[in-house]
Amino acid sequence: MENNLSTYQAKKSRGEKIALFSILAIIAGVLLLVFSSPDLALEPFGLALLGIGFIGFLIGAVFYSAAVNKFKKEYLKEYFSSIIEQGEYYPKKGLAPNQVYQCGFLKRADRFKSFDYLSGIIDGVHFESSDCHLQEKRVRYTTVNGKRRRKVEYITYFKGRVFAFDFNKSIDHQLQVLEKFRPEDGQRYEKVDLESIDFNKKFNTYTTDPHTAFYVLTPHFMESLMSIEKNHPGRIGFSFMGPKMHFAINDGKGFFQVMPFRKIDERLVETFKEDIDKVYTLVDDLKLNKNIFKEEK
Amino acid sequence: MDNPVIIVLIVLGVLLFFVLIWFISTMNMLRRKEVKVNEAESGIDVALTKRFDTLSKMVDTVKGYTKHEAKTFENVVKWRKGMPDDLTMEQKQEFMQKLNAVQADINVAVEQYPDLKAEKVFTNLQRSIADVEEHLQASRRLYNANVSALNAKIVSFPTSIVAGKIGMAKKIFFEAELSKRADVKMDF
Repeated sequence: MENNLSTYQAKKSRGEKIALFSILAIIAGVLLLVFSSPDLALEPFGLALLGIGFIGFLIGAVFYSAAVNKFKKEYLKEYFSSIIEQGEYYPKKGLAPNQVYQCGFLKRADRFKSFDYLSGIIDGVHFESSDCHLQEKRVRYTTVNGKRRRKVEYITYFKGRVFAFDFNKSIDHQLQVLEKFRPEDGQRYEKVDLESIDFNKKFNTYTTDPHTAFYVLTPHFMESLMSIEKNHPGRIGFSFMGPKMHFAINDGKGFFQVMPFRKIDERLVETFKEDIDKVYTLVDDLKLNKNIFKEEK
Repeated sequence: MDNPVIIVLIVLGVLLFFVLIWFISTMNMLRRKEVKVNEAESGIDVALTKRFDTLSKMVDTVKGYTKHEAKTFENVVKWRKGMPDDLTMEQKQEFMQKLNAVQADINVAVEQYPDLKAEKVFTNLQRSIADVEEHLQASRRLYNANVSALNAKIVSFPTSIVAGKIGMAKKIFFEAELSKRADVKMDF
């Protein structure tokens, strides 16, 4: 495996070097065009450097992205299937929009992207997850030189990871526990205050049936949610519907990100393992693996 | 309009009008909270009845194993009709304590007859009772949260005036562990 990692690193590094030299060529080209004396007639040389730089950058980016994709598709796929029961990983695939909107607190996006799909069974609990990037369209009108212009912008309102877990209690009503989100599924929710003042300060609890809120949010469960909130910077939200629990974290990051100039090595893989450990902790903290409430079929 | 008496009367009339509006809205708010308490109380009834039914099924299963020890569950037999409708909150708490005692008896029987644990019907009933317990706890907490909100309003001034006028008194909480109340008589 170590050999594999160094192969991917070598390919990624080649792409990064090409891109880096290309950027240097672009800078040199720009400097020649701007600062060289007209007498020296270096403009064609500057233009050539610019052209070579842009083409080189594109080639470097293609090399880089091919190396990263290969690493994820081959190495990570095999790695995750070895550490997670029935683990399946697809770097280019993600949760379907309907699966994401099922959580009930993420509004429908004008631009929807999901990737780094991971599913499997952790401590007997089935889960699916993926990174998601949701954007909404905003149209602005500006007036330039007396002419009205329409400007379309896409604003990111969610960038993070969404999880769907099998839940050990069967819920007939909707329940959402949200940190600075609000319900977006058009249902008539009632805001409920639980016994814990700290919990109520941290989360807003919305439900279509208050009994369901008290049924799911036992004192221990509330403590677990608080501890998860502490360990996950960013806005988080939980929703409970039917046999599923959704968890979304809006932290502007995602799992399994390979950054430029960061080495593909055992240490990087270890950070991915830590991300998986967070899922284990989530299952354990929320005792999703304690299936003492459902009857055996 | 120059007459000061008329001005004073108008001012008093306006004040009275606002006081009346406040009184009605406060009364409605208290009534709404009371309805929530009553709804939550009916949730407790449902959960207690469900628990009673599930425990009865468990008792039937256990009795198959412990025919010669049927006496252990005698106190359940007399509740065959289920939970009476018109119980006070204290009586409901007493009823819950009796169910706890029955459940403890069942647990003892399970320890004595390990084959019970292997029986699917019984393990499913155990899961079911765990879920029923959770529902009962949820109902109890919801009820107590609603009672707490209502009582807080009833004792706060000036809402306490309205509560007093409409004869609304503080509600009692549904305790998880009931302290012994000698004056409560249970006849089912």
